Amino acid sequence: MSDGQSRPNDAQIVVSGLTKQYRNVLAVNNLSFTVQPGRVTGFLGPNGAGKTTTLRMLLNLVTPTSGTATIGGQRYPELTAPLRHVGAVLEASSAHKGRTGINHLRVLCAAAGLPRQRADEALALVGLTPAAKRKFKGYSLGMKQRLGIAAAMLGDPRVLILDEPANGLDPEGIRWMRGFLKGLAAEGRTVLVSSHLLSEMQLLADDVVIIAAGQLVRQGPVEQVIGSMAQGVRVRVRTPQAEALTTALAGGPATVQTDEHGTLLIAGVDAPTVGRAALGAGVELHELTTERPDLERVFLELTAGKAGIR
Amino acid sequence: MSNLVRSELLKIRTTSTWWWLAIGALLSIAMAFPINAWLFNTAVGGNAEDIGLTGDAASAPAQAANLYTSGQYLGLMFVMLIGILMVTNEFFHQTATTTFLATPRRTTVIVSKLIAASLLGFAFWLVTTVIDLGAGAIFLSLNDHGTLLGEWEVQRALLLNLMAYAIWTVLGVGIGTLITNQLGAVITSSVLYLIGTQVVSLLFFMLSSWLDSVAVLKWQVLWPAVASQVMITPGENEMLPAWWVGALVLIGYALVSGIVGVLITRRRDIS
Repeated sequence: MSDGQSRPNDAQIVVSGLTKQYRNVLAVNNLSFTVQPGRVTGFLGPNGAGKTTTLRMLLNLVTPTSGTATIGGQRYPELTAPLRHVGAVLEASSAHKGRTGINHLRVLCAAAGLPRQRADEALALVGLTPAAKRKFKGYSLGMKQRLGIAAAMLGDPRVLILDEPANGLDPEGIRWMRGFLKGLAAEGRTVLVSSHLLSEMQLLADDVVIIAAGQLVRQGPVEQVIGSMAQGVRVRVRTPQAEALTTALAGGPATVQTDEHGTLLIAGVDAPTVGRAALGAGVELHELTTERPDLERVFLELTAGKAGIR
Repeated sequence: MSNLVRSELLKIRTTSTWWWLAIGALLSIAMAFPINAWLFNTAVGGNAEDIGLTGDAASAPAQAANLYTSGQYLGLMFVMLIGILMVTNEFFHQTATTTFLATPRRTTVIVSKLIAASLLGFAFWLVTTVIDLGAGAIFLSLNDHGTLLGEWEVQRALLLNLMAYAIWTVLGVGIGTLITNQLGAVITSSVLYLIGTQVVSLLFFMLSSWLDSVAVLKWQVLWPAVASQVMITPGENEMLPAWWVGALVLIGYALVSGIVGVLITRRRDIS
């Protein structure tokens, strides 16, 4: 959007000291992060980490106990035309079951003062035109997600906020969603997506914000967050002669660990070096794999012990 | 604001609920009209005492007013249910999220619902009244009473009935914001409307004989369904307050439930 490119700060999300105390649970605890325009930002955290509560506070659906969340410097209720500024997809099932998809969008168009044909355009954008006049209760989960995205796109907003949009989508739908969101970011829009599908996030996100137990764990570009982990590339080796191989590698830069299945995890050297050492020592190998750290491994290490029910 | 009212009316038009309640309102006319026609004939035919009617209540204009508002008792309940559903549907189908995303100013949303509700109440009144006018005028003319539409008592009943329809729909919206559980709100309010009124009458009757005071019965007007009846009933006596007392009580309920509803909705976390 030309608007978003000329005034990038208009589409920046700033969360500052956000806290939500429910009766028995501190759902979000002094959380601060920023989300930049022109990039897809993945919002990650274990179940119950406070992702949904944070997004709902950003959208004024839930009142924070303290702290602020702004979009382009304004709190959500201060936006003069919220749907033209921000589009949000929060849960797949938020439409009246007896209402048709097109009518669901027309109701929102009327409320936001948008022209009626925006409903048709948004439906076409997500490929749902053939189901326009079908009632919502007859939609598959994937169609419901698409309708939610159509609703978010009604006002052609500069900021997109999506809570678990890949839920219920088939592989084709997930690939469509990835291309769609990347395209929106490439146009200069801000895209904030919460998810727990880490492999999908690695393909989709430019930046990540990782939270656990309501607190920020790590924020930054995906490569940087992965690279920041202490353990970099490691070599995974299965062999019946583990001790012989460990001995052969001793004295070099390699550090060898053994996991619970007896598999060796070797850091500090690359796979050819391990292979050569094994050959030299006459050690039989059943597997020799290079393991690069990925988002999933980083995520699990960063959030270890902080997941679960609170 | 007009955009939001339009959006609220579109919400109602695009689901089938209002259609079922409209059928209900029409059926209640179909049930009530023959009974009221029989009452008219009995009262005006000189047998008023047999059905417990005396004085003004047995007069032709009073009975015509009753005939021309046939189906009103259940009709008011149906518009109240529409008002309730206008709010509880948002929580039942989780559309409150998209509604408040489109309009984060929640007071405006509730006020728009109140306006849309009163417009809808007006529409229900208009349709039921047109049917009652047609059927009533034919019945009365065939029985050589003329239409009696020139009588102020009849016109007054029609106008106050309009007010009742608008207020009960608004009251429904208020109840919906107080009890957001759809089934809970619908069942509670229907039971209170249909059975609660009889229970209240019984309690007041017992209270009145215990205190040995007929005037106590007047206080039944504090119960909304009784207030509604008082409002459209002409005349007053030691047991029946004036019509405007009923109107004030009913408007009071609508105002209080609307204001409390707005305050609660403003603070509520939507999750």
